Amino acid sequence: MNRKKIAVISGKGGVGKTSLVASLASLAHKDHDVNLIVLDCDVDAPNLALILPAKSKEEVLTQDMYTTKKATFLEDKCTQCKQCYDEHFCEFKALNWDENNNIPIINYLACEGCGACKVLCPESAFEINPVKSGEIISYETSSELPLIYGKTKLGSTTSGLLVSEVKEHANHLKKYEDTNLILIDGPPGIGCPVIATVSGLDYVVAITEPTPSGIHDLTRALEMVTQFNIPFGIVINKADLKSASQKQLNSYIKKSSHEILGKINFDLSIPEAMSYAKPVVDYAPESDASQAINSIYTKLKHVLSKL
Amino acid sequence: MVKPKIICVTGGKGGTGKTLVAVNLAIMFKNKGYKVLLIDGDVENPNTFLLLNAKLKNKTEVLYFLPKINEDKCNKCGLCAENCGTHALLYIKDSYPIPISTVCSGCKLCYKICPTNAIEPDLKVIGWTYTASALNIDLFLGELKPSEARSAVIVNKLMENLEEVIETEPEKYDIVILDTAPGAHCDVEELINGADLVIPVTEPTRFGKLDLLRIIELITLLKKEYKAIVNRSSLLGYKEKFLKELEENGVEVLGDIPLDEEIVSSYCQGIPLMEEKSKFDRDGAGYKSFTKIFENLIEWGEFSK
Repeated sequence: MNRKKIAVISGKGGVGKTSLVASLASLAHKDHDVNLIVLDCDVDAPNLALILPAKSKEEVLTQDMYTTKKATFLEDKCTQCKQCYDEHFCEFKALNWDENNNIPIINYLACEGCGACKVLCPESAFEINPVKSGEIISYETSSELPLIYGKTKLGSTTSGLLVSEVKEHANHLKKYEDTNLILIDGPPGIGCPVIATVSGLDYVVAITEPTPSGIHDLTRALEMVTQFNIPFGIVINKADLKSASQKQLNSYIKKSSHEILGKINFDLSIPEAMSYAKPVVDYAPESDASQAINSIYTKLKHVLSKL
Repeated sequence: MVKPKIICVTGGKGGTGKTLVAVNLAIMFKNKGYKVLLIDGDVENPNTFLLLNAKLKNKTEVLYFLPKINEDKCNKCGLCAENCGTHALLYIKDSYPIPISTVCSGCKLCYKICPTNAIEPDLKVIGWTYTASALNIDLFLGELKPSEARSAVIVNKLMENLEEVIETEPEKYDIVILDTAPGAHCDVEELINGADLVIPVTEPTRFGKLDLLRIIELITLLKKEYKAIVNRSSLLGYKEKFLKELEENGVEVLGDIPLDEEIVSSYCQGIPLMEEKSKFDRDGAGYKSFTKIFENLIEWGEFSK
């Protein structure tokens, strides 16, 4: 199989993305046909490393990232003409006026680093500089599975760019040149970091649960994925939940004729496995949940081989 | 003149029960006679209206700037592309620059500096805002158009609408509750930043703890007061251990909500558990836990009607 890139996304958070990714990773890693790298692109709340920890702390590589730019005000160049404020140089409301000192003041949280203030200021009293936006962490797990994840520096407004860097990082690892599967744990939502995650992928796995929000958010996520022309399949988690939404989900799937990769019934072995920080397929291989995930893996592998 | 008190419900991790808490807090304030505005700032996946069974009204487009080249005016000088901070204008010598919408930040620099005024705003719809009313609670809700990325612009719009209400009718609401997206990105940050009190919702799992500590780091960075809620606290009997871990990390807790079938059932029916006219069991574990949380919140928050 030539190299395939896939991600698990959901729209709604907390429906089981990371638990599924951890188990799929474990199964794929044991599969002789597959050379796997696993990525956690939920850079706001990266959790996969809790279930797939490093073999040894010494071998964890951490690289600082500077994907964000921010404006700096150079007071010695400013002639206090106030044009920057009066003429709204900044579209992001990051440039305010400090009435006490009669100089501009930059709101760093709001600043996008676009450089408009720098270009427009007649005295060149603004500068744009890269700032630390987060980290990329990479290591091998105890079973020698390579894992890479990103973690934003809080308040750096950079999630999407950092996601792209995590993916880029995986493409340039000499040691893993013969990788034929990149499996990504995606962020919740459908916005910037999710778009950055699914961009350029071969396939998307969308996981959901039979609740009103689960279905609502799934349809929005699939609408987004469809716009980017990426094929996808659906996994239904907590599939046996007693819920009035079961009907709605069934009829949505029937009508849309989307591919169902499998269903996982509610199974306490999943939270138990998590409390032991293990993928459920390793913690309780005989459990119903593990068997369901095994058959999802088999089906997924088949789908990927046809792409 | 008293401004409304603004409470932000957030959580870091997805699916911990942010919306459940936000909606039921709004209901409990309403039950006690407070005038409540709920703002759904999870514009990627707004769900409050599902829990309230509310009909959305006043759909309003949120527009965003994109450059459009007027070829009659453009002299192909390339100044726009040269200065664009995100390289969203592709310029090849002696040809018209081509805007690349996916990387444009909307800063309008090109529009402002073009010497021949050849750049025109091409406004595109990136989402919508709505209002609604259900169970005597007003709702502002934002929705990002699927495949668009700039969710922060819509969150910003919601907060502008809030500011406008506070300015024009300061006494219209006593309490404003903000419901955020999961994560700790710009949308979440803006909502936390606009609040007086922050309530992060978590669950007693390793993921829950890790993400809670991270969102608390952000809340602290923004210099806001917070107290956490532990949802699904009876999961696998981890409650005491988890609460102890939070205490060891200096996390203050407002209360906990145990697993309760009535919560799931209220959620699936679109009737909030705490609605006074609902038929849910007043002695149920979920109901009692929300009542207790509300008592603690009133003690913490100094609210006025």
